[in-house]
Amino acid sequence: MTSRDAKEALGKFTRRQLMELDTCAHCALCTEYCPVYMETEEPGHAPGVRSSKAVKLYDKQHGLRARILGPRPVTDEEVEELSDSAFNCTFCGRCMEVCPFGIQTHELWSKVREVVHDLEGTPRNVGMLEEMLDESQNPYGLDPDSRLDWADFTDLEEIPEKDKAEVAYFVGCTTAFKGANHEVAFATASILNMLGEDWTLLGEDEWCCGSPLLLAGDEHSAKEYAKHNVEVLESRGVKRLITGCSGCYRVFKWEYPKLLGGDLKFEVLHTLEYLLEKLESGELKPEKTDERVIYHDPCELSRLGGLIDEPRKVLAYLANDWVEFAEHGIDVRCCGGGGLLQASNNEARLAIAKKRLDEAKSLGAEIITSACPSCKLTFVDSAREHEVDIEVLDLVELVAKQLGIL
Amino acid sequence: MALNGALSALYSFFVTKLPYITIAVFLLGVTYRLQRWLSAPKGPEGPPLHWPSALKYVVLDVVLFRKTYKTDKLMWLVLVLFHIGTGGILFGHMRGFHLWSASMFEVLGHGFAEFMVHTLPLYMGWMFLATQIYLLYRRTRLEGKQLQSLANDYGALVILLITSILGQGMRIFPPEAIPTETYSVVFIPNLIVLHLEKVPSHHWFFWHVLFTQLLVMYLPWSKLVHVVSGVATSALYGSRRRKYDL
Ligand code: SF4
Ligand code: SF4
Repeated sequence: MTSRDAKEALGKFTRRQLMELDTCAHCALCTEYCPVYMETEEPGHAPGVRSSKAVKLYDKQHGLRARILGPRPVTDEEVEELSDSAFNCTFCGRCMEVCPFGIQTHELWSKVREVVHDLEGTPRNVGMLEEMLDESQNPYGLDPDSRLDWADFTDLEEIPEKDKAEVAYFVGCTTAFKGANHEVAFATASILNMLGEDWTLLGEDEWCCGSPLLLAGDEHSAKEYAKHNVEVLESRGVKRLITGCSGCYRVFKWEYPKLLGGDLKFEVLHTLEYLLEKLESGELKPEKTDERVIYHDPCELSRLGGLIDEPRKVLAYLANDWVEFAEHGIDVRCCGGGGLLQASNNEARLAIAKKRLDEAKSLGAEIITSACPSCKLTFVDSAREHEVDIEVLDLVELVAKQLGIL
Repeated sequence: MALNGALSALYSFFVTKLPYITIAVFLLGVTYRLQRWLSAPKGPEGPPLHWPSALKYVVLDVVLFRKTYKTDKLMWLVLVLFHIGTGGILFGHMRGFHLWSASMFEVLGHGFAEFMVHTLPLYMGWMFLATQIYLLYRRTRLEGKQLQSLANDYGALVILLITSILGQGMRIFPPEAIPTETYSVVFIPNLIVLHLEKVPSHHWFFWHVLFTQLLVMYLPWSKLVHVVSGVATSALYGSRRRKYDL
């Protein structure tokens, strides 16, 4: 790493982000709301400490002293520290929500990861994930032609893969490749079939949405993935894109226009927005369960995606008895499953989820539901690891169950 | 009180020369800060400013400290009192620069005017000091555990604390004299002239003058820049909420 590279990497902070770094008072008002810090109690994992470290490195290369006397080298140890801080974060955005200055930490931490990536400080596991994406267009390194295996495993009868369709179901890697989520895909596909929708899967043409690349700080590659997916969808004449993954949803809806420099030609919907439409129109008529259900807001869908009321409206069609976590909606506490924490600190991920599961149990919930395959996987893994007895279902699965499909 | 020659020259420097240096350093700092931000890449992010939402969250978060209220009630109280103290003290100083006068409060009775110009500032000063000491204490208590301060995080607080201690000292230590006319201190002729009812205790006064100017000089270079940039970040946050329909 030459000092020119370091200067260039650290020079990536945008105007707003630099102003935010200068505004951060290192007040620690966000610290006790950070799920990762609260689990590890490592000072370096506190959001405000990350901001201190970032601005310190920035100033070494671009600060006043650097301008007058020349930049000072950024040491490997400093890069490692920044990397440890940056990757011990679920990207939940809670710190933004409690920051008295409204610092938009989601984008800021993203930029810090990009800087770490350019400073060659990406943790090994995350680097491997990038390599797997390179080889197989999914972060699990699985053969791209096994992307539709979930349909075989779940005995789905109709598997449409059309050249032209109104609606495309973007399954997402964590749903397609992780057994715990196969029924989410099955439920979605079955409901689309049941409604006689003109829909298609993208099969091998579906590439990862690019979210893990953005989380790894590789915006350049994420752009390629965005370009590919949009081209595939447009070539099939898709008008509505449906995805059940809150990560894919957020990236398609909020990041693609930024990455590609313009609006998309199709509408982006989370599956539950689509389901709500069908529930409200009376096309879907589920029975209500009497089991007590609790809904966990996926951070990427709620605070970072803008869908807070919709899942609750769906839930009202499904359950007679549903309860809320103390921290929900825009103030939701992360499940631990975001930000590639599984790759950098799986122990923390599972422990964070356990707290959420314990709270659900203490509220008497029999089913914990969410609207994100990452949340579901994290809850399932944690419940198994920590022996918590609770049923974990995606909201789409719950719809299918109450419709008698699952 | 007679001052020895060197000290007298120093005090005279604080009043007659330093203000020019203060203004120059302050302006240089503002230029540096703006240049620092503007030289960074523009970036694709960020919705255009949506004024109603921006204003809403500036009021909620900057004026009323909504988020701090949600997260830490004690800190909220301290911040509210600290900012009331800041506002009150700035307002009080304006009287010295003839931007308002005690007669303004006379309509509400002489006793009230007395309270506003003599009693309240003293208590406000103690309150202001107490909140600063708490902020400093809190920072040191969390240092290395939940936060990692940079030198300028402490720098701003320490200069402010010294300035406030000196200012409060002026209030509680006996004045040198009570002149028949107001006692004027000319910082910049016809522009910055301070009018005092009492000739203050010199040492407290002149060192207070020095530290106030150091604070002004330090403002754009230090963490205190959040006084301005915090409004901008909150406005941008408000626009973001609008964009995400939250
Ligand atoms: S985004 Fe979430 S996990 Fe990351 S620093 Fe902020 S609160 Fe902590
Ligand atoms: S709450 Fe905001 S200003 Fe305070 S440390 Fe966290 S990010 Fe910085």
